[in-house]
This record gives sequence, structure tokens and C-alpha cells, in this order.
Amino acid sequence: MLATAAVLAPVIWLWAGSLMPSAYSVMDMGRPDYGGGPAGQADGSGHGSGMQHTGGHMHRMRSVTALVADPQQKADVRVDLVARRQDLRIGDRTVRGYTLNKMSPGPMITAVQGQLIEVHLHNASVTDGVTLHWHGLDVPNAEDGVAGVTQDAVAVGHDFVYRFVADHAGTFWYHSHQVSHTQVIGGLLGALVVKPKAPAADVRDVTAVAHLYSGIHTINGRPGDLAVPAVPGQQVRLRVINTDNGQLQVWSTLPYRVSAIDGRDVRGPTPITGRVLTVPAGGRADLSLVAPAGGAGRIRLGTSTSVVIGEGTAPTVQQPTTAVDLLHYGSPTATTSASGLPFDPSRPDRQFRYDIGRRPGFVNGRPGLFWSINGYLFPDVPMFMVREGDVVRMTISNHSGDVHPMHLHGHHAVVLSRNGVAATGSPWWIDSLNVSDGETYVIAFRADNPGIWMDHCHNLKHSAQGMIGHLMYAGISTPFMIKGANDNQPE
Amino acid sequence: MKVVYRVIAYLIALAVVVQAASVALGFFGLTSWIENGGTLDKAAVESETTQFTGVGGLEFHGMSGTTIIPALGLLLVICSFFARSKGAITWSLIVLGCIVAQVALGIFAHVVYLLGAVHGIFAFGVLGAAAWAGFRIGRPAHARVDAPMPTPPQVKVS
Repeated sequence: MLATAAVLAPVIWLWAGSLMPSAYSVMDMGRPDYGGGPAGQADGSGHGSGMQHTGGHMHRMRSVTALVADPQQKADVRVDLVARRQDLRIGDRTVRGYTLNKMSPGPMITAVQGQLIEVHLHNASVTDGVTLHWHGLDVPNAEDGVAGVTQDAVAVGHDFVYRFVADHAGTFWYHSHQVSHTQVIGGLLGALVVKPKAPAADVRDVTAVAHLYSGIHTINGRPGDLAVPAVPGQQVRLRVINTDNGQLQVWSTLPYRVSAIDGRDVRGPTPITGRVLTVPAGGRADLSLVAPAGGAGRIRLGTSTSVVIGEGTAPTVQQPTTAVDLLHYGSPTATTSASGLPFDPSRPDRQFRYDIGRRPGFVNGRPGLFWSINGYLFPDVPMFMVREGDVVRMTISNHSGDVHPMHLHGHHAVVLSRNGVAATGSPWWIDSLNVSDGETYVIAFRADNPGIWMDHCHNLKHSAQGMIGHLMYAGISTPFMIKGANDNQPE
Repeated sequence: MKVVYRVIAYLIALAVVVQAASVALGFFGLTSWIENGGTLDKAAVESETTQFTGVGGLEFHGMSGTTIIPALGLLLVICSFFARSKGAITWSLIVLGCIVAQVALGIFAHVVYLLGAVHGIFAFGVLGAAAWAGFRIGRPAHARVDAPMPTPPQVKVS
């Protein structure tokens, strides 16, 4: 009996320890990590963020619901979106999925830099509830659309209004962050493009939302080629948005420049030929191309779909074996500091580690092989504790045997190095970073957007398996609960 | 309890055979699907909605290998405590050890793909250990073979 107990007790202990309560706060989900900075700030009694404390209420917490765009500012762009559980017609097949305004992808939202976008979301028939997350837009925390963290999932028949200023020109997208591993795969998503105030003249702007519906690769909801008729010499800006769980490989018969990554311009992009560009899951890449004289050019988005620019038929092209390395692409800048960055990453206030591994164990009572973060399984994931204004360095190492597209909400980080090799090109700003097995990236960002922000793998299947940490600012709290009466399930 | 021990051990051996069948089904289904126009890339691999022929075989292989078979191994060890048979505990631990090693090989083969070949070969080790553990339980020990043979009846020839 003793021997039996000795064998079973650790298993039962591990199993019981993995069970999650019927409702819990993200503020209790994980192991606080202060990254070498001052600890004990979760009660808001910290320094360096005076705006968080008024009238001598040093311990007053600010709710994420208070972190909104200026309520007095009127909307420049208003969009009404109605979410539905609906069958989709993809090519000659009908598949189960989700729609926004009876289409998937949902309508493309366009705005000009500096405009305030106001989106009225209504859930007509998504029984699990729905939210909208503005992927890559560093919106105020209350607008981030994470069920159970920044809002409750919007139940059938209910509404939610999102308001935020599009302060950067670039390519973004939106998707549900409630049961996201199911709803995003099912098509509850759309493109969001912010144009610069003074757009370049005579450039044809094309958006290509790559998405896989029940095994069918599509661009903007259609399988096959997306034709872009253009006269020879026509300049084209192709905005590629990868909405899938795996990286998208992009290559072309035409020379192309990578003008922007993740909604941030690349400085001094040079023409690329015969190389493949990897767009991480959730990531975006803007390519600049010129329509060829006599014929058409083909830009492959994976092996099944292409964008065809020009007139006539386009040649086919095999996937190149060499890849574009954004670590050394473009020209370095000298913007606001000696390092060419708006902050000095060599003197960080916090240094965090995000070690990705894989090991057997239990997650919420279920046995299996799970992704670990810093050696622990969900829910013992890291809570990266910061104060507003901190400069943060994060080292992301992957030794899990699989690639992980890491996505930090609410912030853009700059890549400093990969496997010890320093970045030498244009500042490589990311919100979605493909971290392959065996790779170590060092990234840095300024904690300049108070709130509670998810920092997770955008292979949404992985985040549903517990690969989901978060960044938590001192003095910020959330009234929302994961699971609970609203059954909030952000992953 | 010896019977339970034997049944669990044979179930583990059977599960190894099913593992081999399911992974082969999965890969042949996949090649058939690709030959008929299916495209497999990272997005498709990670999409729960990509249903190629035999995908269930690969899913079952992963699920069974990381949960069902280790659980059976653990049950065999627990069972051995009550089986009151010489060598039962030792052999149950050997089987469990083989299972743990096999799961580890399956995990690390994602990093070092050559370990996949070792994973395939080592399956025979798991199968053999489990089958032997089941076969030997409750059977007379080898020593008893050396017992004196009964004297054959004398036949008188007239």
C-alpha cells in the first residue's frame, strides 16, 4: 500500500495542482517576475508612475476599464460589425465558420494616421461570446479585446464599443480573443490598414489576408490567385497579413522590397530577389513591387495561393532555399539616441527571460505534453511586472522542438540580437516574432502603455495549451475574471 | 492480481502494435491526400480544421503515446506490488522505464530527427519488455524445471 501511495501521490498531487478554479483573475495567474527591478508594485504603491496616484491615495489601483482613449474626442471612422456563427462558401466548398457583417474576412477597416476609430461590435449568434482584439495596434488597454482580462466576452444579443486612435500608419488586423483558437481559425477576423497622412502618390495599395479555412488556403477569402491588374511600371504596395497558426512563406518572380514589418516602416529597404520572406503567424509584411513590362509577376503566399501583378499570365516559381534575414536588412538609423532607438536598451530597468520548453505534465487536469515557460506549465506562467516608463529587455529562448510566433499585446519591441548576433539593419520592430527551435532572441521595449497585456504564442493552439504569459503594470487591476459567469476564455 | 498484471502487460504490448499501425495509417493517409491535391504547410499542420486522410492516426499516436501507455505503465507498477510474484516489480519498472525512454525519444525526435529512427526501433523494446512481463508472471520459475522427473511406469514384457 505504501509503495502504491508513493507511486500515485506525486501524480495525484500534480494533477490536483493543475486544476483551475471555476473563475480566476489573470492577476493571480502565474509567478510574479520583477526582472531585477523593484518588487511589490502590484498594489500600486510604486514610484515612477505618479499619474497613477492622486490625492494621496498611494494604494489606489486603476482599473483597466479606465484606460481608454480620450472620451471627448469624436470618432473619425465608425464601423459597425455584427458577428455571426455561419457557414462559409470557400471556393466550391461550404465550411463551418464565423462571419463579421456576413463575410469572412470581415470588412477591411481603413483610417488615416491620427484618426480615432470607433467600432460597434454586436454579437448576433456566436454562442461562446466574442471580442475583437486589434492585433499590432498599441491601443489603450480597455480596448485590447481580451476576454476575461480587459472585458467580458460579448454574449449573443449584446454589444461592445471599441475606441482608439490609430497613431501609426501600417498594416494591422483584428480578430476575436474569446475562444480564439477556434474563432480565429473559423474566420472571425479582418484587416485594418492605417494610411499615412501624406500617402505616396501613384502607388497601388493591395491588402492580402492569408487564411486557411478547413484546409483551403485563401487570400481575402478566395482560394487560388488574387489578380492585381496593373500597367507596366505601376508601383504596388502589397500588405500581407498572416492570420494562420503557422508561418507564411512569401516569395516572388519580381524583385521586392520589404517596406514595413508589423506596422512599422523599414528604413532603407533594398531590392530582394531569389529569397523567401517568412511572415510569422499573426505578423504582417508590406512589400513594394513594380508591375513588370510584358506579362505579370507572381508573388507566392505559400504553395497554394499567389498574388499576380500585371497583365497576362505569370510564370511559376519554386520556393527559394535562402531566406531574407531581417536582422541585417535595411539601414540602421540615428533617431533619438546613440543606438538609433527611442530608448537605450543597454540600460534596462527590467530584464526578463521567456524560456520555451516542452514537458509532460497536467494542464487543468488533462495529462499530456505541454509547452513550458521558464520550466513551468500553465498556470505557473510568468507575470512580467513593470512600471510605466521602464525599459525592458526580454530574452526569448526556444528549445521546445517547435516554432513559436511570440506576440506581445499593446507594445512594439525592437529586436536587438539573435543567437548572440547583434541586429545591424533597420530597427526591426515587431509585435509578432517567429522564434524557431534552437533560437534565442533578445528584444527590448519601453513599457509606455499601462495595463495588463497578454504575451503569448500566436499559434493559438499553443496558447490554448497554456503558452500564455502576461505583462502587468504596477497599480493596474482588472475586474474581469477568466471563465466565471461569462465563461471568458481568452485563448 | 497476477491475471490483472498479465492483462495490463499484454495491453501495453498491444498498444505498441496499435501505435505502429496508427502512425503508418497517418503517414500513408497524408501522402495519399497530397497526391490528390492537398497541401500541407505549417498553417495546415497547426489548423484543427485540416482533415487529411488518416490525420486521426497521427493524433491518436501522439495522444496514446503520451497519456494512455504511460498510464498503463504506471498501473502495471502499482499492480506489481500486489501480484506477489518474484520479478514482477522489477519487470514492471523495466516496462515503465522503456515507456518513459520511448516518450522522451518521441519528444526529442522533434529536435534531432535521427532520434525518430531510434524511436521506431525502440518500440520493439517496449513491446518485448511488456510481452515478457505478461508472459512470465505466475509461471513456474526456471529452477523448478530441474526437479526430478517422475519415474516412468514399468512395463513388464512377458
